[in-house]
Amino acid sequence: MSYYFAIVGTRDSPIYEAAIGNPLKDDGKHLHQFVLHAALDFVDDIMWTTPNMYLRVVDKFNDWFVSAFVSAGNIRFMLLHDSKNEDGIRNFFTDVHELYVKSLMNPFYEVNDPIDNPAFDLKVRTIARRYL
Amino acid sequence: MSSALPTYSTTSVSGGSINNAPPSSVSAVGATSLASGPLLVAEPALFGLLIEMGPALEAAMTGGAREAVFFKMEMLGYNVGQRLVERLAKDHARFTDTLDVVKFICKEFWMAVFRKQVDNLKTNHRGVYVLQDNNFRWFMNASGATTLQDATQAMTPFLWFPCGLIRGALAGLGYATVVMAESVGIPQCTFQIKIATGR
Repeated sequence: MSYYFAIVGTRDSPIYEAAIGNPLKDDGKHLHQFVLHAALDFVDDIMWTTPNMYLRVVDKFNDWFVSAFVSAGNIRFMLLHDSKNEDGIRNFFTDVHELYVKSLMNPFYEVNDPIDNPAFDLKVRTIARRYL
Repeated sequence: MSSALPTYSTTSVSGGSINNAPPSSVSAVGATSLASGPLLVAEPALFGLLIEMGPALEAAMTGGAREAVFFKMEMLGYNVGQRLVERLAKDHARFTDTLDVVKFICKEFWMAVFRKQVDNLKTNHRGVYVLQDNNFRWFMNASGATTLQDATQAMTPFLWFPCGLIRGALAGLGYATVVMAESVGIPQCTFQIKIATGR
């Protein structure tokens, strides 16, 4: 049960990434970024069709799924996973979104800055453990 | 006192902040915090801070033109608006249309910041929106000038901060805009938003 999670900013560059477990181990870690980046196009298509923030599964790669969540400020939260767990993933995204909004409240943090705070990372992993 | 004025929309949750910023809970009047229960700030304190911002900025910018002060106030508003809107739009459905975004600004955003909604919204459907507030809360208690014209003249610099607030809010939602404000007589004021069409 491994996952790869990334927060992609408005300029399509990742501002946070976390590998939980070890997905795609035989293909190399760089493939995670590649798959999520390719899935961004699908996110861009689907996000206009629905007013929801949670976009469910947007893309499939071999037997891995990519789920996405888009915030009001067009920040994409993307998760690479192999098992279908819609409710858990939706709760995960909601909680990480709240966490992101909290870190945005920091006046020293600008939108699209990379998030390299270890406390943020720890909280994301805790949320992942709780819901995924 | 450092030369940079602190921005005052910093909010932190009562679980401790995420980054290393010290917790300081000032929140826009009426905004709901992410912790349980809304964090409120006394409105007179907010007014006092805003009114003081003008002279304080002018004193801090020695030798600069007045336009530099306006620019700084607008940028302060921009930063505040960006962060505030992400928080206020958190539970709202995503926006499909420019008109929806401006209506959100007129209703929820205005309600959170000024405790009332915008009185009048006009548009030419080509990217220009005019928001009219007949009883702008930040001007309601302004006094000291003899004529209405003088009072309006004195309060005009303070319109830059709400301009920045709106521009930041729209930028936070992904729209590059130009926002201008004017007042024919306080407490009435009008904000004009120009959104670049064909986004």
